[in-house]
Amino acid sequence: MVPAQWYLLLAAGIFCIGLFGVLTRNDALYFLMSVELMMNAANINFVAFSLYYGDLTGQVFALFVIALAAAEVAIGIGIILVLYRNFGDIDVTVPTEMRW
Amino acid sequence: MSNVAPAWTALSPALLLGLTGLALLVVDTIRPNARSNTSMALVSALGALASLSVTVWFVVAGTGHADTGGAITLLDGAVKVDTLALFFTAIFASVTALVVVAAHDYFHDHPNPAAFYSLTLFAATGMALLAVANSLAVVFVALEMVSLPSYALVAFLKKNRGSVEAGLKYFLVGALSSAVFLFGISLVYAATGSLIFGEVASAVESLDALAGVAGIGIVMIVGGVAFKTASVPFHFWAPEAYEGAPAPVSAFLSSASKAAGFVVAFRVFTEAFPLGASLAAGIDWALAFAVVAAVTMTLGNFAAAVQEEVKRMLAYSSIGHAGYALIGLAALSTGSAGNEAVMGAAMAHLLVYGFMNTGAFLFVAMAERWGIGRTFEDYAGLARRAPVACTAMAVFMFSLAGLPPFAGFFSKYFLFMGAIENGFLWLAGLGAVNSVVSLYYYSRVVRALFLDDPATPSALDALDVRPTALYAAVVFAAVATVLLLPGFGPVIDAAEAAAAALF
Repeated sequence: MVPAQWYLLLAAGIFCIGLFGVLTRNDALYFLMSVELMMNAANINFVAFSLYYGDLTGQVFALFVIALAAAEVAIGIGIILVLYRNFGDIDVTVPTEMRW
Repeated sequence: MSNVAPAWTALSPALLLGLTGLALLVVDTIRPNARSNTSMALVSALGALASLSVTVWFVVAGTGHADTGGAITLLDGAVKVDTLALFFTAIFASVTALVVVAAHDYFHDHPNPAAFYSLTLFAATGMALLAVANSLAVVFVALEMVSLPSYALVAFLKKNRGSVEAGLKYFLVGALSSAVFLFGISLVYAATGSLIFGEVASAVESLDALAGVAGIGIVMIVGGVAFKTASVPFHFWAPEAYEGAPAPVSAFLSSASKAAGFVVAFRVFTEAFPLGASLAAGIDWALAFAVVAAVTMTLGNFAAAVQEEVKRMLAYSSIGHAGYALIGLAALSTGSAGNEAVMGAAMAHLLVYGFMNTGAFLFVAMAERWGIGRTFEDYAGLARRAPVACTAMAVFMFSLAGLPPFAGFFSKYFLFMGAIENGFLWLAGLGAVNSVVSLYYYSRVVRALFLDDPATPSALDALDVRPTALYAAVVFAAVATVLLLPGFGPVIDAAEAAAAALF
């Protein structure tokens, strides 16, 4: 069996790739994909440590997370759609009606 | 009194909110032509009030109280109904009722108001679930249940660029912070092997090699809480979202959603990561919260002082108030008898804040309904034509500033006294300095309303429109803010009793 700490490293690596994508990409769809990566990194932890502890909670929660991530994408796509209709672009740096 | 009803009935405040939301959605789906803004608003207000009355009844009857059999746990301990949960559910239900009543006038010409009411009620259901969560899994699911409808609510005016931009920014920061929060939960699970608060707490006591993993996880959970409560460093969505969103939504988010963030913070950090055990593992989250609280209240109040728009000023003031309420966590110390007092005061402050801040944003909603501008100058002289609403606004402003005869003064006083008793004089002092700063920008609103002359004599003609329901909601919030003066004793007692159950 692969030692548990390798899963932690894998998950941390994927989380950082997602975070990098969030911070560097301006495209709203890339943002959604990057957030998905970050959530799936958490899922790797849940499933791996569920096996490690012999406890099903983590695996079941990973399924919950997948469903919630899908719901979040649905809302996100909806907002990106109205963004496109109002601003003609899905670049997240374009809308600057209000100052930060 | 205990064990008369089946245990699941303890969840009825949340169930009532959720079922009302579903019923509205079903009716709107099968009879889209029969939808009427008034009946939708009425049904959602009744649902919220029913939830509030059940909650109050539970508090009076002592459900979940130590004297009547203690907290009621359901679903294998994942859900726990206790006095803390009931206290916060009362805040959520009251704010929801005020917001849906006000929304009746605000969305009077909107083509599909039913979606607004059901989304608001779903978010309120999520908040009520957050209050009873006893497992990190339930916390995350309920948090998403609050967040997802909130994103849609902020972007509810689909053709308004400000609203869409606000929704986008809220979504971007929200999605990022919930991913960070989730990763934090996964690290805590990796280190402790459980998601139930009590089991996490006992595992935290005996962390050895995994203390670092748990520590990073806890820091990430602090980040998620900071987003929900609009605290530094995840605060920058708040001014945008509150300014761009329809004003009733801003009221809902800045009062109820913020309180929901705090109930999670209070419960997770006292029950899952008790301070003593965390310190033994080298994780001093109270220090982290002290820094966050200090920076949050200073930044919020000073940024509010330089705003030109009333709504944006209220948004920054709401960040400042998050800083005050965070004192409830920051000023805890191991085994101190003053812990209940300071956390109870923070809870009482959130209750008072729920009324005064909702009322202030609903006054802004009324200004938007009248179609007058957004800046302080645009509010000049409004008291000549709308004296009642402006008096109510003055009550909110002075109470938010914490002037002595108002409820906001008592909650802040108890909060700062509690912090001093726990040895956090610097935090209380900083809070007092910030309150003085806040008096400047709150009184600017009152001066504009009562003393300044309107720019043009015809500027006040817009006030001929009389949005009755909005008026009623604003006046009711003001009455509640004033009534919390004589009623503050029972409130602080209930809050301290609820906080005592956590330690």
